[in-house]
Amino acid sequence: MRTVHLYDARRVHNPRMSKVIERILNLLAFLLTVGRPVSAEEIRFTVAGYEQGEDEAFRRMFERDKELLRELGISLEMQATDAFEVEYGYVVPEGGYELPDPGLTDEERAALWLAAQAVRLGGQPSGPEAIFKLGGVPGSVGGEPLSANLGEDVGLLGDLFAAVVEHRVAAFTYRDKARQFKPYGLVHRRGHWYLVGELVDGEARAFRVERITDLTVGDATFARPPGFDVQRSIPDAPWEAGPDEMTAEVVFDASVAWWAERELGANATVEKQQDGAIRATLPVAHPDAFIGWMLGFVDEAEIVSPPELRQRLLDQVGSP
Amino acid sequence: MSSPKTAKRLTRILSMLPYVIANPGVGVQDLSERFGYRRKELIDDLNLVFLTGLPGYGPGDLIDATVEDDEVFVDTADYFSRPLRLTPPEALMLLASGMALISAGQGPPALESAISKLSGVVAPESGGGLVVDLKEPEFVDLLRDSVEAAQVVSLTYTAMGSGETTERDVEPWSVFSANGNWYLSAFCRTADAERVFRVDRIRAVTGTAETFAPPDEPPPPEVRYTPAEEDVRTIIRLNPSAQWVAEYYPVEDLGDGKIRFSSGDPAVAARLLLRLGGDGELIDGPEVEQLVADYRIRIQARYARD
Repeated sequence: MRTVHLYDARRVHNPRMSKVIERILNLLAFLLTVGRPVSAEEIRFTVAGYEQGEDEAFRRMFERDKELLRELGISLEMQATDAFEVEYGYVVPEGGYELPDPGLTDEERAALWLAAQAVRLGGQPSGPEAIFKLGGVPGSVGGEPLSANLGEDVGLLGDLFAAVVEHRVAAFTYRDKARQFKPYGLVHRRGHWYLVGELVDGEARAFRVERITDLTVGDATFARPPGFDVQRSIPDAPWEAGPDEMTAEVVFDASVAWWAERELGANATVEKQQDGAIRATLPVAHPDAFIGWMLGFVDEAEIVSPPELRQRLLDQVGSP
Repeated sequence: MSSPKTAKRLTRILSMLPYVIANPGVGVQDLSERFGYRRKELIDDLNLVFLTGLPGYGPGDLIDATVEDDEVFVDTADYFSRPLRLTPPEALMLLASGMALISAGQGPPALESAISKLSGVVAPESGGGLVVDLKEPEFVDLLRDSVEAAQVVSLTYTAMGSGETTERDVEPWSVFSANGNWYLSAFCRTADAERVFRVDRIRAVTGTAETFAPPDEPPPPEVRYTPAEEDVRTIIRLNPSAQWVAEYYPVEDLGDGKIRFSSGDPAVAARLLLRLGGDGELIDGPEVEQLVADYRIRIQARYARD
């Protein structure tokens, strides 16, 4: 049997990157086995790769390494090294390193990889790193059955998703107003991402993610109401989201009936007429959105009832 | 800052190691394929791992990485026997893309089970916390098949602005979704130019027996809008409550709440103004002004009829 011991210094490329990788692997091996919080000083003099003369050089290097661990998805916490809480040290908390085994089959991994290739977030398809973490994909997978762009900056979405998963209160600015929000879910519908949940005072809200700025996810957590239905928090059609409860009856001429029928939500009932026109009955919770949509048909559609919606449409048309 | 390359390489190493530990003797070829390695890259990474381990850094402390007869073994590295957890963006990308495919009716059963297993691990107590809804309009499947077969199709298409319906022969290049709508990117033989069609405005698709040679490099699947010479330009003042217009349409911000709106068809701007009501004021655009006035009269006439 032929045994090859692998180390051959002449073959190692990119020596600087290799040094960083060696040091990080040593650091992780140490942190994952030591079983207690360790101070930066102890790391400096114990872990191979930190033999630094200057305090400042070590400090900078260690800061970079901590940042790199964070990028990899590893969480690093500070904990007291003794009961008197005099000194603090670093520890990888329980669940801070490893992925619990989802028990995926190779076929499932391949399906995930294919999906990740076909769908973009923030304009980019995802890299293979997430699939590697799940165990890689055997063989090469080809084909692009669907090409969809879900838009939005993946950094912000990722932070919001973490807040949803960890049940953490999110503070952000929305339309120039500071909000404290309990995020219960993220929804992508009709081309936009929405963050849904409740304000800390209890009001249920949905915010458009693209308008969220100055996000801070704090340490405060909340209990997620078990009955909250994220799926139903964003309605099917824009005019179904709002405080009002009206029922409108509308006629669409034959020329636009095909299009209206595609746009009407699942909650509308549609009755076809002999001349190809349709008569639809639909719930209206947001009259402005509804009237805006109706105006797009100009004179090829008409609100039959209720009279107050007819009047509101005419008022809007009448305004010079 | 460490380079993103370092993070990527480390991620791959820390993903590959648990696999080797769980499957001692895995072939170099299999391992390379699974983690997208070229053989040499894999050997380089194993070389690096071989230099690391626990303090003491003696023979019993270092990780034992060997290749014997093209079989890979890693010992004394039990602390690396589990893969890294996913970062929130990674988990989100995987779940969101899988859910998008499933909602579009494109998810095989393996994808559905994968998403359910993965959700259980990354968001165990936030059941249903992520919803991705990407419904496909009619014809998406059919058009996708035509793209695949490089088959010329006839479309009955109704333009967004004018409502004008035309018949066109097109060479379909790709079908994609962006901003909540589905699009067909194609070469339109009728217009003798490249065009992007909104799939929900396609009223009928008829396949033909004719095939075409797809372009070597089809344009990227995105909706590009560049104002053209002949576009109608309109200046509109928006109230704060109508700022969404600036987010929905490619407009030019002129400051002071004013935007310049360009469209190939004045009907698009006219319908928008009608919709804005008191929230938008037309500052300049005689052609559009005329059209809005015409629309008003038509709507009032219709409602006066009964």
